[in-house]
Amino acid sequence: MRYINILKERYQLIIKYIGILTMAASAFLLLPLLSLPFYPEEIKYSYSFLIPSIFLFIIGYIFWKYTKHNREEVSLSLKEGGIIVLISWLIAVISSALPFMLIGMLNFTQAIFESMSGWTTTGLSVVDVTTAPKLILLWRSIMQFFGGAGLVVVMMSSVLHPYGFGLYKAEGRSDQLLPHVKRSTKAIMYIYTGYTVAGILLYVLTGMSLFDAFNHSLAALSTGGFSTQVDSIGHYNSLSIEVVTWILMLLGTTNFATHFALLKGKFKIFFKNGEIRLLLILNSIFIPILIFFSVNKLYSSLPAITRRSIFETITAISTTGFSLDTFNTWNAFGTFSIIILMLIGGGTGSTAGGIKLYRIYLIFKSIIWEIKGYFLPADVVKKNYIWRGETKLDIKSNFVMEAANYVVLYIFTYFLGVLIFLSQGYSISDSMFEFASALGTVGLSIGITAVDAPPIILWTETLGMFLGRLEFFVIFFAIIKIFKDINYIYSSK
Amino acid sequence: MMYVVVIGCGKTGSAIADLLSKNGEDVVVVDKLNSSFNLLSPEYTGFTVNGDATELEILLEAKIDKADLMIITTEIDSVNAMVSQIAKKLYDVPKVIVKINEPLKSVIYRNTGIITLSPTDLFIDKLRDKLSKEEGKALDEERTI
Repeated sequence: MRYINILKERYQLIIKYIGILTMAASAFLLLPLLSLPFYPEEIKYSYSFLIPSIFLFIIGYIFWKYTKHNREEVSLSLKEGGIIVLISWLIAVISSALPFMLIGMLNFTQAIFESMSGWTTTGLSVVDVTTAPKLILLWRSIMQFFGGAGLVVVMMSSVLHPYGFGLYKAEGRSDQLLPHVKRSTKAIMYIYTGYTVAGILLYVLTGMSLFDAFNHSLAALSTGGFSTQVDSIGHYNSLSIEVVTWILMLLGTTNFATHFALLKGKFKIFFKNGEIRLLLILNSIFIPILIFFSVNKLYSSLPAITRRSIFETITAISTTGFSLDTFNTWNAFGTFSIIILMLIGGGTGSTAGGIKLYRIYLIFKSIIWEIKGYFLPADVVKKNYIWRGETKLDIKSNFVMEAANYVVLYIFTYFLGVLIFLSQGYSISDSMFEFASALGTVGLSIGITAVDAPPIILWTETLGMFLGRLEFFVIFFAIIKIFKDINYIYSSK
Repeated sequence: MMYVVVIGCGKTGSAIADLLSKNGEDVVVVDKLNSSFNLLSPEYTGFTVNGDATELEILLEAKIDKADLMIITTEIDSVNAMVSQIAKKLYDVPKVIVKINEPLKSVIYRNTGIITLSPTDLFIDKLRDKLSKEEGKALDEERTI
């Protein structure tokens, strides 16, 4: 009985937090409307944002207001944080799908797909950008911006009080920049917003219109990849715009803690960082081999080959998903290279997806340590460490185990998804490419994702993106905890 | 906002670190044993540094040179004495507070500008207050009778 009362109290607290995050999502829905002074002719679409926003605000307010007021100093565990993150993300995704449906552009499946693709910073799209209203295009970019930082980080930097530390960890953004979570999240938002503004300026300087610059900068730094053009960055055919995009994508895929070290001028530590090293190594391997074995069959001039190869390598590893042209014409070598890069993905604690450079680097390092250890005397004491953020991180064996478990789970899920694609009659290379893109929250497409794709494909991708963004375990923990608690309450009655 | 370094994450140190972190200060806590950090509550959001506080490298990792306040709470008085003097003399930390386990040792800190607190003395002070209050009460009661 006592435990049931405690459970009740905890769930009231959880619902309260969900209420706050729901109200935040309702505020985000109003942001595209700020552009109405520039595009007054689109006022007829404003209802499709206002209605869901008001609806969400009411739900959030009820959750927040009518749960019993708890004692102030209650803190959340990681599992409870997981439940809040899971449910508030679902609410955010569903509510963000409403504008697409209310305007009448997409049906339910497609709208959820598009909104999930936005929030998880994937960038696979079923929206026809040539006919879509500007408000919708802005809304897609704004979803990616907030999805990149994470709902909790955005809220923690502004209104949420810091007792919800479990929340911060639950969203898969566990690196801290400063010795207090509130100032950490503030620092993240400053860095993120600063880069975004700089990105907009650079794009405008290199010849984009302000509207395109705004959307592309948001989508590049969040490693999202929604574009306002049908053929993405390839539309501009401009080297300077491509270079700006390279830089923004690489910035987006770098851990915020590493950015923090870089911005403080600690270049030595920056280049010691394992993720940065691996990123550089992978780029310097894959760019030349793509040039030699794949892209040189597509173009006749060396600059064109090099440009294409550099751009597609960075877009895949950073899990952004901008592209210069279609992948249909690539040979198997090129396609599979891009699949590998998409699965590896970007940095932890950045806006990127994939398995994450840190895990790959850690497993790789531990293999080297094992081989080296074999040749050392039996009673040697050795301290293994890698650089992370600004400090050395001592590696304990359970770190390696966690990373290895994650990789195995990731690959299993990947195979399962590919099987579902194959069951719909797609070729093996197309299936592998498209699901790697969804699971790694990349957004490159080989042509399967389209308005006329079968619903089962869209739902598989939707689920893949969600699992990939929240890093599996949090979702599992949260669901298991909910079931366990429900079971307990019923069995004791 | 203050930058606080807490040395020692025992019962005292962890409670102090929790309190300061909840109040919104930047806190770093240093302890030799990694398992000591389990004493910290979930709402502690500061950093932890695992290492021996008598090594300068560890103190620098905790950014002692940037500290506004340093609270030293280990169980060994000689460690406390050494670390507090490093903080005060070498790094000019504005405020250094030391927990004194053995009250006789407070002599060490005379004229150093280091603030000392002894749990034993505090206990005795409180006890004296309580006793004197109760005596006072008893006296009052006698008078009213």
